[in-house]
Amino acid sequence: MKKIRKYIDNSNLSLFRSIIQIIFFIILVYGGFKAISISEKIPTFACPYNVRTGGTCYLINIQHQLHSEWAGFITWRGISVLTALLTFIGLFIILNKSWCGFICPLGTIQDWLTKLRRLFGVRFSRYNKTSFKSLKVIKYIVLILLLVIPLGMSNSFFGLPKITEDMSAPYCQLCPARTVLPAATGDFTQFYIDFSSTTTIIMTTLAMIITALFFVGSFLKKRFFCFFCPMSALQFLFAKIGLLRLVKVGNKCTSCGNCSRVCDIGINAIADDLENKFIVKDDCMMCFKCVEACPENNCLKVKFTGLTIFRSTDEGFFKRFSKTKDYNITIDRKLSKND
Amino acid sequence: MTKEVSDKLQELKIPELKSSLTSKLKNEVYKAISEIKTTFQDSPEGMKYFLNRYEDLIDDQNKDYKNKKIIATNCIYVPEELIYASGAIPVRICNGFYALDQAGANYLPAKACPLVRSTIGMIDNNYYPFGAEPLMVVNPSSCDQKKKMGEIQTKSNIPIYLLETPPVKDSDDAREYWLKSIIRFKSILEKTSRQKITKSKLKSAINKIYLAQNEFRRFNNLRKNAGIISGTEAITVINTYFFDDIESWTTHLNLLNNELEKKIQIKKQLNSTDKPRIILTGSPSIFPNIKIPLLIEKHGGIVVNDDFCSSTRFLYDTIAVDEWNMYDMIPAIAERYLKPSTCPNLSPNKDRGRKLIETIKEFNANGVVYQSLAGCHLFEIESLNIISLLRQSGIPVLYIEVDYSPENTGQIITRLEAFLESLT
Amino acid sequence: MEYFIGIDIGSSSIKTVLIDQNASIVNFSVVPTGYSFNKNSENALLQLLSERDLKILDIKSIVSTGYGRKLFKLAQKNISEITANAKGAYIISKLKIKLKTIINIGGQDSKIIIIDDSGKVQNFFMNDKCAAGTGRFLEMVSRNLEIDIENFGNIHFQHHGTPLSINNTCAVFAESEIISLLAEGHNKSGIISGVHHSIAKRISIMANRIGIEDSVLFDGGTALNKGMVAALEDELLKKIYVPEHPQITTALGAAIIAKENDESN
Repeated sequence: MKKIRKYIDNSNLSLFRSIIQIIFFIILVYGGFKAISISEKIPTFACPYNVRTGGTCYLINIQHQLHSEWAGFITWRGISVLTALLTFIGLFIILNKSWCGFICPLGTIQDWLTKLRRLFGVRFSRYNKTSFKSLKVIKYIVLILLLVIPLGMSNSFFGLPKITEDMSAPYCQLCPARTVLPAATGDFTQFYIDFSSTTTIIMTTLAMIITALFFVGSFLKKRFFCFFCPMSALQFLFAKIGLLRLVKVGNKCTSCGNCSRVCDIGINAIADDLENKFIVKDDCMMCFKCVEACPENNCLKVKFTGLTIFRSTDEGFFKRFSKTKDYNITIDRKLSKND
Repeated sequence: MTKEVSDKLQELKIPELKSSLTSKLKNEVYKAISEIKTTFQDSPEGMKYFLNRYEDLIDDQNKDYKNKKIIATNCIYVPEELIYASGAIPVRICNGFYALDQAGANYLPAKACPLVRSTIGMIDNNYYPFGAEPLMVVNPSSCDQKKKMGEIQTKSNIPIYLLETPPVKDSDDAREYWLKSIIRFKSILEKTSRQKITKSKLKSAINKIYLAQNEFRRFNNLRKNAGIISGTEAITVINTYFFDDIESWTTHLNLLNNELEKKIQIKKQLNSTDKPRIILTGSPSIFPNIKIPLLIEKHGGIVVNDDFCSSTRFLYDTIAVDEWNMYDMIPAIAERYLKPSTCPNLSPNKDRGRKLIETIKEFNANGVVYQSLAGCHLFEIESLNIISLLRQSGIPVLYIEVDYSPENTGQIITRLEAFLESLT
Repeated sequence: MEYFIGIDIGSSSIKTVLIDQNASIVNFSVVPTGYSFNKNSENALLQLLSERDLKILDIKSIVSTGYGRKLFKLAQKNISEITANAKGAYIISKLKIKLKTIINIGGQDSKIIIIDDSGKVQNFFMNDKCAAGTGRFLEMVSRNLEIDIENFGNIHFQHHGTPLSINNTCAVFAESEIISLLAEGHNKSGIISGVHHSIAKRISIMANRIGIEDSVLFDGGTALNKGMVAALEDELLKKIYVPEHPQITTALGAAIIAKENDESN
C-alpha cells in the first residue's frame, strides 16, 4: 500500500495529464467518426458545431433551454432544464474543475500552443495583481449574459423589446471552440462573417477577433482563454461539492511560492492563503501543477471522496525536478516507519 | 620611522602573526572535533568524512582551491546557483572562529556582532579555505552590521560587492527590487569570472544544488528519529557545505543517510528517546562555535532541529522552474531566496513563528532554546515576539545570550541545566 | 529513619541541610565558602552530621547545587540552583501561600523564578553579569559606611520620608556616588535605605520583563535584611513572604530532590 502511495506521489503527474488530455481530445473532437457521444451536458467544451464531436458542452444546452417564455418553465421544459442541470452537476462533481485541466480540448490546444512557445524560447507574460483582479470579473459577466440573453430573446424585460433572434445561442457565436474545434478536423467552415444582418455581422466579426485573440493570447500567456471562460465561472458555483478536491494544510506552508509560480493561470491565492483548507479559486483548472511543485510533505493534497490520492512530498519534488545522471545516487528513499 | 621602514617591518611581522593565528584556529578545530568524538560515542561512520573536512580546512598544505575561481559569500541570500553557473565555486565565509572574532576586533567594537567580526577577521587576514583567493566577496545589505562591514578598508584587496537585499518580502516593490538586484549580480558575476551564464550551465547548476538539497532533506527527515545522530554533529555536517566541494558533500551525505536509515531499521527502540528534545533558534551556531548545542547534549538534551541560517535554512528551500529558460530560471531563483526567508531583517516576519511551531510539532520537541549573539539587535528584538508566541502555544522556551568566547560556560550551563530539568 | 542531604555551594557561603524521610529539617548550617570549597563543603557536611551523631553511611542520598556543585565528590547527583530553589521555596511555603514567584538575591547573582501549580519551574531570569542588584552591592556599601550588614535592617527604618535615589546603575560607580552623598552630610540611614531601593528597582525591572504574579517569596541570604524586604515590597507593590531561614531554601530544595529521586527509584 505504502509502495503504491509512494509511486503515485513521486510520479510525473504532468506527463500523465498530457496523455489524458490527448486521449480526451481525440474522443471529444473526433469521437463522432465512431459515433461516440459521451453526453450532451458535458462540463467542458465539446462543440456540436464540430460535426465529428464526441459530445456536447452544457453551455449550448442551457442557452437553448433558456430560450423560452417564462410560462414554458412551469411545464415539461422546466423539468428538462432541471434534469439537464443535475446531469451537468453530476458529471461535474466527479472531476470537479479537473474537467478544465485534464479534459477540455480548448485547454489542451492552449497547452500545445504553450509547448510551441517554449520550443521557440519566447518568454511568457503574466498578469500583475491589479490586472488579475479586474480581469477575472469578465467571465462572470459573460456567464450572466449567456444566461440572460436567451431569456431576453423569448421574453421582454421591463417592457423593452425582445432581443433579436439573430443572437441564437449568443455565447456560441463568440466562443473560440466553435471555430477552433471543427478546424481540428479539417473543417474551416466556421471561419466566416455572416452578412445577413447587423447583429450577425457584429457577432461573427467579434468571433473572428476572439479566435485570433485566442491564438495570440494563448501563445503568449499560458491558458489565456481560461481566465475569461464562462464554463469556469459556472463550474465554480458547484466546486465546493466536488468529489475531487484540492486542499491545503496552511500550517505546513513555508511561503516559498513555488505553487503560484508554476500555476499556468497565475493564481497567487494558493501561496498566500494560509487559513482556508479549500483553496480552489474560480480560475483554477485543477491541473495540480502546484501540488507537483510543492516541496513540503502533505501541504497540498488531492482528495477524492475524502481519500488522499496525490500529495506534495519533498521526495516527489526532487524526483520530478532534478536529474541524477551525473551522480551515482538515487532520489528514491527507503520506506521507513515515519511514512 | 619612514613609511618604507614600517612597511618592511610589517612585511617581516606578517608571517609571524599569521602562524600564531593559524595555530589558534587549529586548536579551536581540534578542540571542537575532540569534544564531538568524546561526547558522542555512538557516532555514525559517515561522520568521519565531515570531521576530516574540517581538519583539511586548517591544513596549510591543502591548496585544492588555489587555482579555482572562488566567490566568497557572506549570507544565505547570495544565490549560489548563479555562482556555479558562472564557472566559479561559492565559499561561505561566515565562521565560528574565536581567533578570527578577536582579529576582527581591530576594526569592530566590542559590542558588535561576533559573527561579523569573525568575517572581517577572515577577510583581513586573507584566511580562506584550501588556499582559496576569492575573486570577490559578496556581502549582503541584509543586516546593518554586515552591510557596513563591507565598507571597511582592511589589509585585503579583494573587492567587496554589495548585494542589495530588501528589508521587506511581502510587497511587490520589494520583490521587484530583489529581482533587479539578482539580475545585476548576474552580470557582475559574468564579468568577474569572465564566463557567460548560459541556459544549460544554469540548469545544471540548479540541478547540482537540487541533489544536495535532496540529501539534506533526507537527512533532516531522518532526524525525526530523535537520537539517531546528535544535533551538534548534524550542524557540523551542514556547516561543511559552506566550503566543501558540492558533489563530494552530496555523495558523502548520501552515504551517511544510507547508514542512518539502516541504523533506524535495526534499532527497534532508541534509548535516548526519553531525553528532552530541543529546537534551537536565533543567531546561528557555526562550527567550531558549537558551544550551545554541545552543552545541551552534554547535559541530557537532544537538539533535534534548528532554524539557523547556518544549517537547516541554508539548504531547505527549493526552486521551482516551470520553463527551463533564462526568463523563468532567474525569477525562480530570486523568489526562492526571498519568499520563504525568515531572516529577522525582514519585517514583518510572521513566517518565522509559524514555521518554528510547525517544526516543533513535526519533530515532537519538548522545548526551544532561543539564542542571540551579544550585539545582534535583530534576533534580540525579534525574540520578544517569538518567545511570546511560543509561550502562548504552551511551548517552554529559554532565552540566552551567547558569544564566541570558549569560556564563560558556567553561567550558560546553569541556565541550560535548569531549563532541561524543567522539561523532565 | 532515612536521611537526605542537600548542599548549596555558593560563591560566598556553603549551605547544608539535613532532612529525614518526612522532609523535616533535622539540622542545617551556613559557613563561608573560602578558597578550597570542596574541602570546606566536606567539612561542613561532616560537622552537620556529627552534631546529630550521624555518619556519611547513614545518609541515603546527597544532592549538590550552586556554583560548586559539579566538583563536589560526595554528591550522588547535582542539579541547577534554579530547580533546587524552586523546590525548596515551594515546599516551605506550601501550607502558607500559593507560591508563584520566587525572588532570590544571592551573593553574586539575583534570580526570579516563576513556578507552576506543582512547583515546577516555568520560567526564570538570572542576572549574573552585573553586581547591581546582588549581595555584592550591599557588601560594598557596608565597607564604605563601616556598618555590619546585620544592622542594615534596623537602620533602614530609621530613615523617614522618600528614599534617597542612587542614580548609578553600575555598583562600581555607585560607590563614588555614595561617598559623595556622605560628604554632603546625608545620614547613613538615608543612604542605606536608598541602596535598598536601588537594588529593589533593579529587581523590579527584571520582574517586569518576566511578569511576576502573586504570591511572591523572597529568599537568599539578603532576605534576612528586613530593610531589603520593605524596599522590595515598596517597589513591587506586592506583599512578600520571607521564610524563617531564607538562606537555606535552595539547599533544602536539593535535599528534597534527593529524597524524591530516591523514592522514584
